[in-house]
Amino acid sequence: MSRSIRNTSLLSLAVAGMLAGGLSSANAQTALSGDQIVQTMGSAARAAPPGLTAALIRQAVQQHMIDNPGMPITWKPLELLDNLAQIDVQIQFALNSAIIRPESYSTIGSMADALHHPILGGYKFVVTGNTDTTGNRKDNLALSQARADAVVEALTTTFSVDPSRVEAVGLGEEALEDVKNPKNPINRRVQLINIGKYLPGK
Amino acid sequence: MRFSCRRLLGAGLAAGLLMGLAGSVSAQTISYSEAGALLAKSCGKDIEKYCPKVNLGGGALKDCLQERAAQINPQCIADYKTVVASLSARLAAQAAVTKACRGDATQFCQGTAPGNAHYLNCLNAAKKVVSKRCTTAITNAGWN
Repeated sequence: MSRSIRNTSLLSLAVAGMLAGGLSSANAQTALSGDQIVQTMGSAARAAPPGLTAALIRQAVQQHMIDNPGMPITWKPLELLDNLAQIDVQIQFALNSAIIRPESYSTIGSMADALHHPILGGYKFVVTGNTDTTGNRKDNLALSQARADAVVEALTTTFSVDPSRVEAVGLGEEALEDVKNPKNPINRRVQLINIGKYLPGK
Repeated sequence: MRFSCRRLLGAGLAAGLLMGLAGSVSAQTISYSEAGALLAKSCGKDIEKYCPKVNLGGGALKDCLQERAAQINPQCIADYKTVVASLSARLAAQAAVTKACRGDATQFCQGTAPGNAHYLNCLNAAKKVVSKRCTTAITNAGWN
């Protein structure tokens, strides 16, 4: 279902690129353009609560692991991020590692295009990593943090995004997209989340 | 499904590139997304073969490609340089927009400011009367 939607949007992007005739934003590797991310992320209706930081999200994740033993279906949802402007990004990593596969370079580029756009210049962002429930819960948290770190490093070095505006947070398997099917690969994803106003120096 | 979709998109991108080259107002820079796609296309196979434990960020990929230069295909080396130069030109263009467009914004887009949505919308809508310096900066910044 979601795959067919994704393919449709890919096709319409390609067509739009051909019509516009300029350097098109469609490319072979990603369903996501920087402009799409800008639109989703700039949504003022989903403003983050003041004072939200990457450190607070990390704390909430640790607490979630303590408070929710047992099977994922019984876990209380991690609600902290629910109402924030956010978008799921599919990044392909090498198996059990934080190495970003080349096929995903352009998707990270789309994130960079969005983060460089002036409409989002006044905001701070968190890049999260998420795993499914295959394997050990603590290892998954560490892997997801390493993967989010790798994305943020690529954004802030190769793609010149201001490092004071974007932080990496591993969510492990604590924020499953499909709780009923915790091993569903759809749970493995990176998110870009707007965590509120960027105040330089703070 | 996935592969056929990719081929189609590849054709779309190629067509877009050709038409862009033929047009007179195409950007002299590529987007970060296009830069990533070009790196993947020209260097992806070599990266997975010769630099499989190396990540995109932090200079490690560049170092690895340099160390292995004898084995890496020349198109990859050439396109890597193109990407670096183009991204640095795009970054400079993005930084230059506010200054390059200050006079035009004052004249044609009063009440807007860099960073609010109306600023670029207005300058782009008014591009027939906006200075070439400003439209060039916006185009090379990728914000047109």
